[in-house]
Amino acid sequence: MITTTPEPIELASASPAGRSLRRFRANKIGVFALGMVIVLGVVGLVFFILGQLGIPWPMDPNATNLERKLMPPNSVNWLGTDNLGRDVFSRLLNGAYISLTVGFVAVFVSLSIGVTVGAVAGYFGKWVDNLIMRVVDAIMCFPSFFLILTAVALVGPSIFNIIIVIGLVSWTGTARLVRAEFLTLRESAYVQAARALGQRGPKIIFRHILPNAAAPILVTAVLGVPEAILAEAGLSFLGFGVQPPQATWGNIIADGKTYILDAWWLILFPGLAILIAALSFYLTGDALRQAVETRSERQ
Amino acid sequence: MTAFIFRRLLISVVLLFFISLISFFIITLTPGSPYPWGELNPKVSEEVKRVFRAKFHLDRPLHEQYGFIMRDLFTGELRSIKDERPVLEKIAERLPATLVLNFGALALSLSFGLLLGVYGARHAGRPPDMITSVLAFVFIALPGFWVSYLLAIALVNYAAIPILGTHTIGVTFANGLEVFLDRWWHVMLPASILAIGGIAVQSRFIRASMIETLREDYIRTARAKGLDENAIFYRHALRNSVRPLITGIGMLLPALIGGAVIIENIFAYPGMGRLGYEAVLERDYPTLVALNFVTAALVLVGNLVADVLYAVVDPRVRLE
Amino acid sequence: MPRVRTLIVGIPLLLAVVTGVSLWTVARVSVDKKNEMYIGSIGEPTTLNPVQAADAASSSVTGMIFNGLLKYNADLEIVGDLAAEWDLSQRSTFFFATPEEAVVAAANMEAGIADRAELHLRRYMVEGNRLVLELSLPGVTDSQKLAEKFGVAPLPVHTVSVAAPQAMGDALEQFAAEDLASRAVRVWSNGNLGELVFLGNEVATLERLRVYLGSKFGEVGVLIEPVLAPPFLAEPEVTFQLHEGVRWHDGAPFTSRDVRFTYDAIMDDRVASPRKPDYELVLSVETPDEFTVRVVYRRPFSPALESWMMSVLPAHLLAGVAPDQWPLTFNRAPVGTGSFKFAEWKTNQFVRVVRNDDYFRGPPHLDGIVFRTLPDPLTLRLAFETRQVDFWAADPWAVGSFREDERFTVFTSPSNSYNYVGWNLRRPMFQDPLVRRALAHAVNIDQMIRYVLYGYGTQSTGIFTPEMWFFDPNVPPIPYDPERAKELLDEAGWAAGSDGIRVKDGQRFAFTLITNNGNVIRSDISTLVQENLRAVGIEVTVEMYEWAVFLKRFVNQGEFDAIVLGWALGQGFDQFQIWHSTQTEPERLNMVGYQSKEADRLLESIREEFDREKIIAMCGELQRLIYGDQPYLFLFVPEGTSVMWKDTFRVKRPGPDGRWIDEPVTMTKAGWSHYLEWFYRPEYAGEGGE
Repeated sequence: MITTTPEPIELASASPAGRSLRRFRANKIGVFALGMVIVLGVVGLVFFILGQLGIPWPMDPNATNLERKLMPPNSVNWLGTDNLGRDVFSRLLNGAYISLTVGFVAVFVSLSIGVTVGAVAGYFGKWVDNLIMRVVDAIMCFPSFFLILTAVALVGPSIFNIIIVIGLVSWTGTARLVRAEFLTLRESAYVQAARALGQRGPKIIFRHILPNAAAPILVTAVLGVPEAILAEAGLSFLGFGVQPPQATWGNIIADGKTYILDAWWLILFPGLAILIAALSFYLTGDALRQAVETRSERQ
Repeated sequence: MTAFIFRRLLISVVLLFFISLISFFIITLTPGSPYPWGELNPKVSEEVKRVFRAKFHLDRPLHEQYGFIMRDLFTGELRSIKDERPVLEKIAERLPATLVLNFGALALSLSFGLLLGVYGARHAGRPPDMITSVLAFVFIALPGFWVSYLLAIALVNYAAIPILGTHTIGVTFANGLEVFLDRWWHVMLPASILAIGGIAVQSRFIRASMIETLREDYIRTARAKGLDENAIFYRHALRNSVRPLITGIGMLLPALIGGAVIIENIFAYPGMGRLGYEAVLERDYPTLVALNFVTAALVLVGNLVADVLYAVVDPRVRLE
Repeated sequence: MPRVRTLIVGIPLLLAVVTGVSLWTVARVSVDKKNEMYIGSIGEPTTLNPVQAADAASSSVTGMIFNGLLKYNADLEIVGDLAAEWDLSQRSTFFFATPEEAVVAAANMEAGIADRAELHLRRYMVEGNRLVLELSLPGVTDSQKLAEKFGVAPLPVHTVSVAAPQAMGDALEQFAAEDLASRAVRVWSNGNLGELVFLGNEVATLERLRVYLGSKFGEVGVLIEPVLAPPFLAEPEVTFQLHEGVRWHDGAPFTSRDVRFTYDAIMDDRVASPRKPDYELVLSVETPDEFTVRVVYRRPFSPALESWMMSVLPAHLLAGVAPDQWPLTFNRAPVGTGSFKFAEWKTNQFVRVVRNDDYFRGPPHLDGIVFRTLPDPLTLRLAFETRQVDFWAADPWAVGSFREDERFTVFTSPSNSYNYVGWNLRRPMFQDPLVRRALAHAVNIDQMIRYVLYGYGTQSTGIFTPEMWFFDPNVPPIPYDPERAKELLDEAGWAAGSDGIRVKDGQRFAFTLITNNGNVIRSDISTLVQENLRAVGIEVTVEMYEWAVFLKRFVNQGEFDAIVLGWALGQGFDQFQIWHSTQTEPERLNMVGYQSKEADRLLESIREEFDREKIIAMCGELQRLIYGDQPYLFLFVPEGTSVMWKDTFRVKRPGPDGRWIDEPVTMTKAGWSHYLEWFYRPEYAGEGGE
């Protein structure tokens, strides 16, 4: 009895992954953006660890120093100080991991739900598909911002809750995409073959269809990270975000907006940080998409 | 077609039911209770609170409260807890401002998106394309509240113009043109911030679909026939790429209405976003449920119209 | 296809150009400012019905449209508004077994009184078996003295107060009719509160009443508080003489009927009015003629006068309309007697009021006032800087730059509010007074005032604020002294633990401090308290919640360790709801659970005292007592700061000799909203009402 999976026949010498990689490397903007993402990740990790070890570098992000409040950027406080004399630069570095964690974990949550729901809908089709897609429609009809706002008020603001809530309201796009992929892929020859060989639903989904839909899912994932980062910033801005004194880019802006006319550095730098982080992820994601896009292979 | 529309309407009704249910239960489960006066007001007696709760059925079990809200919504009797005005009236008085703002944003994002997208596609792969691409992503990555503040401050500092509400108050204008121009920038500046993300998305979308269309066989044929490159580009490729935009517009609606909260606040713009945000903070259940309901209904109708239009424009699409 | 190309480039270009042109013109157009005043506020008014309004945004608008019977003048003294004159008196009734005894008592009293004025006795009369004295206030204790001079024993009076879970209707009256017959001298009911006053002092009657009410309402919730009253019935009266010739904005004359109607509206269950408690002790409101209103209270209640600053509603417009229809009509387009008339309300944008040319004190100078809603604090400031609004309640950190700028006038005004950290006294760690004292020593309030308020504030020394006339300035503030704090904590048994945090009986001194989000000052306070307490070995976690969640889940339930909050107080000295031990249940205002027999006694007697000196003495005692107990860590009383463009307004007001006084705008104790009618724009001088 044959149990091995028939691979789609590859005519070219390199694997599709290899070709994609080559194409990605050729994209200078993409490579640069990926570099930025890696730098951000390292910064986030390093300052998270420093924080956990209690090493205040360059300064303790939460130590107030009222004599030095609202100082513009200077040689001691490179990016100035906030209304309680805390060092903005240290707070930015210390807040990096929050934004990144929110970005990654929220995407993980939304992907898990989106892929599962989309896969089930796409694979089984018929009334299952119909039912699920109507629910997805219903959720998409909500202004998601209100949904997040009320949900956060419901469960209370903490990093964990915010991640979950952002993840829970942002899976519909992924679900639609995965469903579309599945609708196409389940009619493909190798899936028909696997089915003819007597393989069952879950196995077909996970062994045959999902790996072939991996590329677009990866792209959605990467593009989802900046969205989650921006969502967290918006929430923090309205005061629904992560609790103080923990600094996040969003709540540095939120605290700083009161002093905006007297202390521009309080909102300029964290805003730039959000912009740069989000942009890096978007450009990386876009480069990835171009690299894995099958249509462009015909060129 | 009729059968299709009928079925979609039926599904929409079911959807609306679920939407009202979800929005009601989320907001009522959220801690906090609706009082039109501050809860820490020493002057509000227990008796006043009791009468008030009874008036809005807040002393009844949740499912009954939901029933009352839905009944009143359909009879038009639903009153806001905050000021006891009919909720539909409150929504109706903000709808024009919201529509004007969103149409402004839509016009900006479509026109500028089209311009950037076409420009990118025309120069695909070359530096101008890369610049517009990066620009588009910068637009998406900009936090809207941040840009709003920067814009508000820049305008005040360099032009002494504050963007407040829908028009300048307390000034006598010389003629109708001045009135028009005054209203125009009051809408267009907030709209341009709302549109930033839309411009980026539309331009990416148009660029991608144009590049794709340009690779189609019939374009190659046209090119082989020796047709003018400009004619191919603008007549064939563009027309094909613009059609899907129609469906895209339907999808934009909920984001436009929900996403305008912060911008409406900063620019003191009297739209629906503020109504919803204040209703959440004040736990004004009837207003919130009605608002979600009306928004969702608008979106569903918008989607349906978009689908039908799409089928009318593009004969290849059949409605089932 | 050049046509398509033109469109693709042309449309965005057109949009951009029109926007550019519109911005360019707005900067050039000659700005023709109207003769109006522009006031910005973060909140939108909820309703323009003064009886229902509870928020500051609504009140500032209704304050222009309506008048009360009384008002504060610039020095916060009570003066007449719609009332030309008013008079306070008290009727004290003594009951005797027979009419003859009453006559004898009157004669005895006449003989015993040396100086009527000293006793505040205006006149007396015998009505059947009653001796009725009419005294000017304060006269409560004096009538007790009088009783001693009678030589005949008045009958004891028994007062029973009842609170039932549902409105009592005429249950009390029924009982009085069936059981007490002629011995009931007064039956009073008002919503869920009721009172039965009868002659005699029988335990049996009381018991029957208890059983009767139990059968009527069920045992639960029926509360009977028998009070052995002094041997007379003391009913304070306020008589208002109204201005004649005052007209409503629609031309109808203002009469005593309107006052009566306003009182009825406030007490109507269908009207959710936050003002009901002010009138709960009112026995009756009588209107002997068109321009006289007499209010009788069922017992002495000194905050009574202030409650008649309440705006008066037009009876001729509202009496025939069910209150649930008001929000649709009147509350959005009110008609008052005030110096300005309502003109238009554009939701979420502005409310405009215009000059009332028939105002009974003479028309104001300005054409109108526009109250704008600007929900974002930054927008509000930008609007002020670009002259879109004329005043700005400046943030403390921004005041400095305006002070230095010639073009602005900066006003500071004392506020009647204070900020505090409330300790939940239900938590064991906060029950020890030594610990609370230590916490007070550990927090550097001076630093807070200097750096958070930029000096615009003073340290709070208790439940009253310095501008109140009953404030005791001699309460010494607890100084910042971390060493003393450590000593006190050691003394209380909290010893430093291994991680630097103090421990007692195995429990670490760690707690959560919560407050609402979106308030910069409170968030700064939290962070500084956290730092200060860490220095003496106490671990504080700060959490911030949305206002509604903060109240519902934590504050109202008493489910917190410590909270940062503030009280914005009126001018009244009655703080029963905040400090009395009966107010500690969920949803009440004594959130921290403060209980003190001594404080209870003071809170109760202050309410019944009319003598200024005695009120000052008792308030001082209360302030010292509570400050000593430190249920709150009293932080500071912030100053209000506001900025105005110097050239915008001047004031032209009638002076005492009838001539106009023209002067710059000044800040009074009462702010300036009470005399906006005399503001004028210099460029419009000579126009408007004079």
